[in-house]
Amino acid sequence: MSTATVESHDTPTDHNDHGTSTGISNTKLAMWTFLGSECLLFGGLISTYLLYKTRRGPGPDNTAIPTDIFDIPFTSVSSFVLLMSSLTMVLALSALTRGDNPATRAWLLATAMLGGVFIGGQVYEFTSFLREGVGFTHNPASSAFYTLTGFHGVHVSLGIVMLMSLFVASKQGKLTPKHTETVEIVGLYWHFVDVVWIFIFTVIYLIPVE
Amino acid sequence: MAITEEPLALASGGASNVERPLGALTRPKGGNGWRDWLSTVDHKKIGIMYGVAAMFFFVVGGVEALLIRVQLAAPEGQVLSAEVYNQVFTMHGVTMVFLFIMPLAAAFANYLIPLQIGARDVAFPRLNALSFWVWISGAVFLNSSWIVGGGGADCGWFCYSPNSGLAFSPSHGVDFYALGLQIAGIASLVSAINLIVTVLNMRAPGMSLFRMPVLTWMLLVTQFLLLFAIPVITVALFLLMFDRLFDAQFFNPETGGDPLLWQHLFWIFGHPEVYIIILPAFGVISEIIPTFSRKPLFGYSFMVFSGIAIGFMGWGVWAHHMFVSGIGPFSVAAFSLSTMFIAVPTGVKILNWLATMWGGKLRFTTAMLFSVGTVAMFTIGGLSGVTHSLAPADTQQTDTYYIVAHFHYVIFGGGVLGLMGGLYFWWPKVFGHMLNETLGKVHFWVMLIGFNLTFGPMHILGLQGMSRRIDTYSPGFGFEFWNMVATIGSFTIALSVLVFFFNVWKSRRDAPNLPAPGPDPWDARSLEWMIPSPTPEHNFDTVPTVEGLDEWWHRKYGYDEDKRVVRIATIEEAAQDGSAQGVHLPAPSFWPLVLALGLPIIGYGLIFNLWLCVVGGALAGLAVYSWALEPVDDPDADHGHDDHHDDSDGDGDGAEGGE
Amino acid sequence: MPNTLTETTTVSDMFKIRGRLPGVGLLLLFGLLAAGCASDAELDTLDPQSEVAETIWNLAFPVFILAGVVLVLICGAVLYLALKHGVRTYEGDDEFPEQISHNNSLEIAWTIVPALIMAAIGVFTIITHIDINGTDDNSITIDVAGESVEWEPTIVVVGQQWWWEYRYYLDGSQIETADLGDPRDLPPADIVTSGQFAFPTGTEVELIITSRDVIHSHKIPALNGTRDAVPGRYTPWKIEANGPGVYFGQCSEFCGLSHSRMRMQAVAMTDDDFQAWIDMQMSDATFDESLQGYVDAYRETGVGSVDDVENDALRGLDVFTTQCASCHLVGGLNDLVNGEAYDGADTLAGSAPNLTHLANNTTFAGGLFNLYNNEDGSLNRDDLAAWIRDPNAVKANRANDLPDGVLPRGMPARNLSERQINDVIAFLETLGPRPTDERIAATEVE
Repeated sequence: MSTATVESHDTPTDHNDHGTSTGISNTKLAMWTFLGSECLLFGGLISTYLLYKTRRGPGPDNTAIPTDIFDIPFTSVSSFVLLMSSLTMVLALSALTRGDNPATRAWLLATAMLGGVFIGGQVYEFTSFLREGVGFTHNPASSAFYTLTGFHGVHVSLGIVMLMSLFVASKQGKLTPKHTETVEIVGLYWHFVDVVWIFIFTVIYLIPVE
Repeated sequence: MAITEEPLALASGGASNVERPLGALTRPKGGNGWRDWLSTVDHKKIGIMYGVAAMFFFVVGGVEALLIRVQLAAPEGQVLSAEVYNQVFTMHGVTMVFLFIMPLAAAFANYLIPLQIGARDVAFPRLNALSFWVWISGAVFLNSSWIVGGGGADCGWFCYSPNSGLAFSPSHGVDFYALGLQIAGIASLVSAINLIVTVLNMRAPGMSLFRMPVLTWMLLVTQFLLLFAIPVITVALFLLMFDRLFDAQFFNPETGGDPLLWQHLFWIFGHPEVYIIILPAFGVISEIIPTFSRKPLFGYSFMVFSGIAIGFMGWGVWAHHMFVSGIGPFSVAAFSLSTMFIAVPTGVKILNWLATMWGGKLRFTTAMLFSVGTVAMFTIGGLSGVTHSLAPADTQQTDTYYIVAHFHYVIFGGGVLGLMGGLYFWWPKVFGHMLNETLGKVHFWVMLIGFNLTFGPMHILGLQGMSRRIDTYSPGFGFEFWNMVATIGSFTIALSVLVFFFNVWKSRRDAPNLPAPGPDPWDARSLEWMIPSPTPEHNFDTVPTVEGLDEWWHRKYGYDEDKRVVRIATIEEAAQDGSAQGVHLPAPSFWPLVLALGLPIIGYGLIFNLWLCVVGGALAGLAVYSWALEPVDDPDADHGHDDHHDDSDGDGDGAEGGE
Repeated sequence: MPNTLTETTTVSDMFKIRGRLPGVGLLLLFGLLAAGCASDAELDTLDPQSEVAETIWNLAFPVFILAGVVLVLICGAVLYLALKHGVRTYEGDDEFPEQISHNNSLEIAWTIVPALIMAAIGVFTIITHIDINGTDDNSITIDVAGESVEWEPTIVVVGQQWWWEYRYYLDGSQIETADLGDPRDLPPADIVTSGQFAFPTGTEVELIITSRDVIHSHKIPALNGTRDAVPGRYTPWKIEANGPGVYFGQCSEFCGLSHSRMRMQAVAMTDDDFQAWIDMQMSDATFDESLQGYVDAYRETGVGSVDDVENDALRGLDVFTTQCASCHLVGGLNDLVNGEAYDGADTLAGSAPNLTHLANNTTFAGGLFNLYNNEDGSLNRDDLAAWIRDPNAVKANRANDLPDGVLPRGMPARNLSERQINDVIAFLETLGPRPTDERIAATEVE
């Protein structure tokens, strides 16, 4: 590690990969660490949902739980959309590494838009549930459902903000192959959010409820 | 997430006038005034701010404790009404845990970790400043409930549901509790990420993980515990706030909400939390005891591994706080056993500290007194903890003063005494003068006596059946005498704290007339003692190359043919003199402070008026973008970490090997 | 060349004892612990009076001793090391002890040995745990309204802010949690008491514990440990007593304002006394003939008239029906009024203490005050009057000056005149029968 110190002073980003005791840059390590904590965040929310998913509340007014009114095909499509956005994210990174800035922008935009479609699907799903009377305050099952998927949605939205920031930076000519790591780190976050959705989709939508 | 993530550079060696505006934004300059403190990203200044604020809240929490003790000194006390008492005991717990002992440990972590690993600062200096400002704004927000919230939170620090719900706690106290802790939790989480990356990535050349001082190791384990525990209480607090603000159905038993969900989430955080509290103190005394025994710490590997073991095992014991809550006999049995076994790595440490002292030459400076006191007091607390772990016995002990005795012995006797020792030990390094040793010893003995007088009798009170969290008790149950003793003890503790503050003031006043402590007044073992006191802004003139554990010790002492210790260099010869110029350091910034101010505004908005949320959110958002876009003062500068290595191979290029 | 390794202040001579005091303090503590068995400690956990409590104690006591031994050893070691190896200053560079840094075999040994000790304790813990959580499936023969019934002793314990209710279902089959439903809407019970509950000595009685509002915890230290009362859940526990007597308890989970004033007493009785108690509790209140006319009219029409203004108890009955009967049930009076059955209280928990045989209790206000003075057995008029006058003043609650739509938690002040208070006390006094002098003498809560 120390043998690399002399060359590392030339370009600001190179030092990120050398001169660190683990060999990973500080920022990338920070993102991995942060994602570790996010596992516990979503773990807590998923556990809450698992505990509450059949709790309908007393009386005839509270009988509907989200599981009753899921539209699995619709949600499967929006899950597929989100999965595809991970692919476009990888393509964006690869384009930047090659130095192909127009392609980078295109794939970044595609990722953001696919994320936006996913969010749009969530919004549609929530409003349709609301119309059927299953709102946030309906019963423990619905509160847990909206909280879990809502937190995930917020994470996706923040990811879209980051992707669009990268897009704008690229348009301004500030995103160069020197910055592949930045895109890689945003990609890490995006893939994580995607993987969490796979868990959520499985746990909430696919596992049957008696 | 920002593009301009390159670190910022400001040449050290005095305030310089670097202004290269990018658009309208400029970076602040260094200096010493109050503006410097508000914009600093220097881990040392941040550590000092954490310490000062923590000691302030120690007094706040201590006053709350004295109020409790005055109320409970005699039966049917009339000093505090039940309503006010419930607020006082709640805020005492919340203040002492979240606003005193955690930030005091953070003070040590922030100040010492970079020094102990040979770094110039932490991985993300602005994020470090953010952690402090977010924490203190959360602390102020939480306590503002006394003024604008109609009183403090009154649900207990553990805030069980359904009592925490709107039906049973209609005042805003619980809202301030939940939002204040959320804000403070962000600070801890961000700081944990920062310090983990710092320790894993920024160690000096040659400093493998197993050459790090035990303090750094214990702090590293603590950061991992924070990293994983904070998100869980975050979830719990969100669920509570959604219930209270938006009528969610998480904790309403009438619609199927389960009060035990809160308990599980809280204690999955809460149990690692107690290890978060104690491990830093364990690390501190692991530095002090070897220094004042003139021997290395006995069993470095076991100390490190037992700390890691505590970190892992701490996740498997949480429901021992719930033995009688109705979780079912199988769960109770499992958690009873797991709790018994976590005593093993903790007990091992006690034996290692004793073995360090064994055959040593023990010099009882104030720091050493506190450290040895920690060992003894924590042993008491740990043993009463073992008695709790027996689930059947716990049915008689839980929710009595026996538990209050246990956790005060481990947290105060273990955590506080340990960190107090740390203050005496590192004071010269931080401030450039020693704390007066005589006053320090008075502080120690008065505090030790007061502490035992206060909490020792609580074992008896608990076993005699005095419930905890009661605002008063009736005469005739036999609680009068020991409660009065405990009250006297509590005022004794208060006296000792006054002695400490007097010591702080007097030592500073007397400092110009006393010899300077120099880099290493204690003849200590780790890297922070090879640089001047107080620490220069740039920390190390040259980043040392580390060849073993206790690197600094081995630069002063070696072994002769008969394996006896001989000095190979004086402190002056081996230490750095702090004279390096032009070392590049991270530049200051105001944006962490601005971002931090947005958060309590959002909090007030959620409680009083949603438009405030917009204001707070806008402020935070503006701060985030400004932070991302603010100029790097010196785009061609190096990252400070690689500068100025030891020229140990003599080829003049500051690097090792054949380059 | 600064040398801070020497310390020459003579004041430090005063502190020669160095590490001694922690050890002294601890030995003192241990001694105090042992001496902690005060005689007037009714909530004492160290004086078991039942098999359950004895089983717990048989596990806890040896472990306390072991902990004490370890404590003495560790603190003794600290003292010993401080005295043996303590030096005032470090003189020069040749004062180095042998630099032993580790001893793997020793460290492994002192990891394994404590682990084995914990394992052994664990085995005994699990044995005790299984014992105290097991149930006997016993049954006793009692006489219920003239019929002989095999009753599997079970009491439903319901906590609410800030008192305990006890419900007995005596129809012979054991009440199961599946039968119970919502704690605010429990099936009608044969016996409902508050603050004090009775059971036969030498018999294991199952408890089913729940809450109607927040989490409370039920504990009679002399007889069993604590168990939480959680709303929405039914938690099983058990209680028994070796001999007859009054055993004291206090709520042991923070439950708000009057957590400190939420108490109860377990009254263990001989079989005969328990049978008499059942008979008494299952009957409605009996009224003096001077009150009977009012009672009949009230039950018929919802209104009664006071035809003898000199009769304190009669005036008190009138106060009761107009001010108290909307919450408090007295069997035979307001269980069925003008065709409508009593349907609970207008409090958040939907319940208020059943007062049918109030005067047979020895405490009131949630087990908080003596109902009868210990010295002479007379009614404790002062505390009773203070309670009725303004409950919040003697036991903080949330029952007065509430915003619209908020139900009270606790008993509100009814703004009665002094005369009304005296009258209603005169009436309540008749809701007996009076308890035995022994039970009065044994109940000393203040």
